[in-house]
Amino acid sequence: MAYIEVKGLKYKYPATETMALKGLDFSVEKGEFIGVTGENNSGKSTLCQAFVGLVPNFYRGAYGGSITIDGLDIAKASNAEICTTVGLVFQNPYNQFSGACDTVFDEIAFGLQNIGIEKQEMIRRVNEAMEMLDIAAYRDRNPFDLSGGQQQRVAIAGILAMKPQVLVLDEPTSQLDPQGSEEVFKAIDTMTQAGITIIIAEHKIEKIAEFADKILLLKDGLAADFDTPEKVFSRSDLASLGIDPPVYTLAAEKLGKRKPESGLYPVTLSDAAECIGTDIPRVVLKKRDEYKIEPTFDVSDISFSYDGQKNIIEHLSLKLDSRPTAIIGQNGAGKTTLVKLLKGLLKPTEGSITLAGEDVVGQTVASLSSKIGYVFQNPNDQVFKNNVMDEVMFGPLNIGFTKEEARERSIQALREVQLEWAKDINPYDLGLSDRKLVAIASVLAMDTDIVIFDEPTIAQDRKGKERIADVIRKLEAEGKGVIGILHDMDFVAQCFDRVIIMAKGTILADDEVHKAFTYGPALDQAKLEPPHVAKLMKAIGVGRFALSVDEIEKSATAGEYI
Amino acid sequence: MKSISLYVDKNSIFHNLHSFTKLFYLLTMILVPAIVGSVWGFAAAAAFSFLLLVICGLLKKAMPFVLFTITIVLIIFIVQGLTYPGNETVMFSLGKIEFYREGIMYALRIGLNFWNILFAFALLILTTKPKDMVEDCEQIGLSPKFGYIIASVFQIIPQMTGTMSTITDAQRSRGMETEGKLLTRAKAFIPLMAPVVMSSLINTKERAMALEIRGFNADIKKTYLYTRKLKISDKICLFMMGLSILSSIVFRVVKWLISK
Repeated sequence: MAYIEVKGLKYKYPATETMALKGLDFSVEKGEFIGVTGENNSGKSTLCQAFVGLVPNFYRGAYGGSITIDGLDIAKASNAEICTTVGLVFQNPYNQFSGACDTVFDEIAFGLQNIGIEKQEMIRRVNEAMEMLDIAAYRDRNPFDLSGGQQQRVAIAGILAMKPQVLVLDEPTSQLDPQGSEEVFKAIDTMTQAGITIIIAEHKIEKIAEFADKILLLKDGLAADFDTPEKVFSRSDLASLGIDPPVYTLAAEKLGKRKPESGLYPVTLSDAAECIGTDIPRVVLKKRDEYKIEPTFDVSDISFSYDGQKNIIEHLSLKLDSRPTAIIGQNGAGKTTLVKLLKGLLKPTEGSITLAGEDVVGQTVASLSSKIGYVFQNPNDQVFKNNVMDEVMFGPLNIGFTKEEARERSIQALREVQLEWAKDINPYDLGLSDRKLVAIASVLAMDTDIVIFDEPTIAQDRKGKERIADVIRKLEAEGKGVIGILHDMDFVAQCFDRVIIMAKGTILADDEVHKAFTYGPALDQAKLEPPHVAKLMKAIGVGRFALSVDEIEKSATAGEYI
Repeated sequence: MKSISLYVDKNSIFHNLHSFTKLFYLLTMILVPAIVGSVWGFAAAAAFSFLLLVICGLLKKAMPFVLFTITIVLIIFIVQGLTYPGNETVMFSLGKIEFYREGIMYALRIGLNFWNILFAFALLILTTKPKDMVEDCEQIGLSPKFGYIIASVFQIIPQMTGTMSTITDAQRSRGMETEGKLLTRAKAFIPLMAPVVMSSLINTKERAMALEIRGFNADIKKTYLYTRKLKISDKICLFMMGLSILSSIVFRVVKWLISK
């Protein structure tokens, strides 16, 4: 019998009609690393929660089949037995904290107290967990004051201290900045080496492909595949299953390069570089001057401070234009503060900001709202109406559109995000990814000259990202200014023409997207990595540069080889 | 993170006492003057706690309480000085308004006792972390679930206020006015409150799951990382306080017997 056995696992949430899991069968050996992937609502989170008994014990609902870990039937096991066998880490580091401990040390010990571990053993285990996750330096800090990556590592330490043999992680890096994600992946790697069995659901497919022994590909609550990353990602029907393979695989596929020994596509950077070799297409850069570029914001020597003491933004000057512009950098680099200043939500302590020659600083947020739209990161911070249509109409009505106009624009906006079908549904009955699209539609419907997106791709799968990319392209075509704050560099490369790299409240680099990603020192200083394709091109080492698989393909079909 | 706990991180004689000793101090300061019954008793008790606040270097933190309550005490003086049912002897007059001795004395008792309890309470909350007190109580039998509710409030409320400002920004971005006339503010209420409630509910659900997977509902006797035992100093203080309660009772009984 295998270490973990999942047999005929079926589950239906209470008050829903469709089954979330429709009969899963697979087994995992001790110490294996399993990556779970699939489009949104394919059952990934439900499966993760079933591993720790939250499904069915927390939610109730209809449950069939079984999960056994080392002989323990999870659905029937006691809370204490489960905690010491298997742990779960979820997306949002914030909500995983007990909320009752004011230091990192106490937070990690919280679970140990609950399962009655003796004091000396508790201290030993907390120290050990802090060591393993490299967070000992923060032991006396309040966990809520840490950065996202640090918080997530504290959350993992809190689980790990309970000594589970299996660790399940449900998109643990989706809410983190690139550096935070890197910290967490490093921690996961350490745990793998310590022999802990890892099951991880994650959208960052390149990472999963690098670490996983096997990939479980879910589609509509069923296992569409369960095999090695190379086999799974070499399938030709991945698009219909709702996922993209790693960018490296995609690049190899577009160029028709397979691994000679297995006939499969490579899935990791090094394999792809080796497999593709130097026989790659020459990249044709888009010619920017074919586009009409209109100036938008003129930011002149602004400074800003939240507390009147430490400046978050210091003497920053910037001229923006109608090109889709991405602002990238770690959390705390001042990106959100900058766009809030543009939007008039914050007022600079010195300097001036104008939009098409008009002063922004002196205007109220409400009066600016008809010119500048802003989609916040978390849709839950704005959604409040009982149905999607009313929610989307809220903005247009506020800025003086008539009811008919507002309705018309809202329908148009919902069509753009492909959510017209949901117009009569309560937004909170939609998943987070669709709710984010509702929030985007609610800003699009206001028909503003500028649209600012804060982390538009969070929680989105392949389809969701594609819809958002379409929205950005359409706005660009209409001559509207798009500004995005993003952590997803592949998406930046795909949709944005201009990139501003920020760190510590200053601009390190600001250039056309292809050039910006060649600024090694600025990227290093901002602790950012270039898009995967750029990394691949670098690894291939032909002195050429490309940012997206599309670029490679365009050149390839044109037959422009080196 | 901004904390709503009033705890002052310091080292003082009061900080070093066990939370039960401090709780018992509050009880003693309520009971003793009440049993003794003399206005001097209230004055002495208030002065004693005030002195302790000074010694522990907490006066600055306690001042807002005092300033805030001055108006309340002043109102008590005015109302009682004018309208106390037993008013007979005029003490002084402001123009045609006459203040009575009986009312003023009664107000003095209430006012002094009010400050007495306030100072004793300030000593407790300024020197005790809520989490420590909750844990101490759990260790002598308070339900850990109830304890968790109290301890978590101190972290969750500041979190909610943080969410609130983001929500205000998000709605203002969509052209909603949040400032100005009462009607404008009233209109803004639902767009601001509904997301707070919804996101709290979502967070609560996630937090409940997080607690579950960290053994919060395990049927095992909970252990504690910190076990604060009563020190000699605590025992001496508790003894002295017990003694003073006892003496005040004896004093009152003797006084009553004599008056008979």
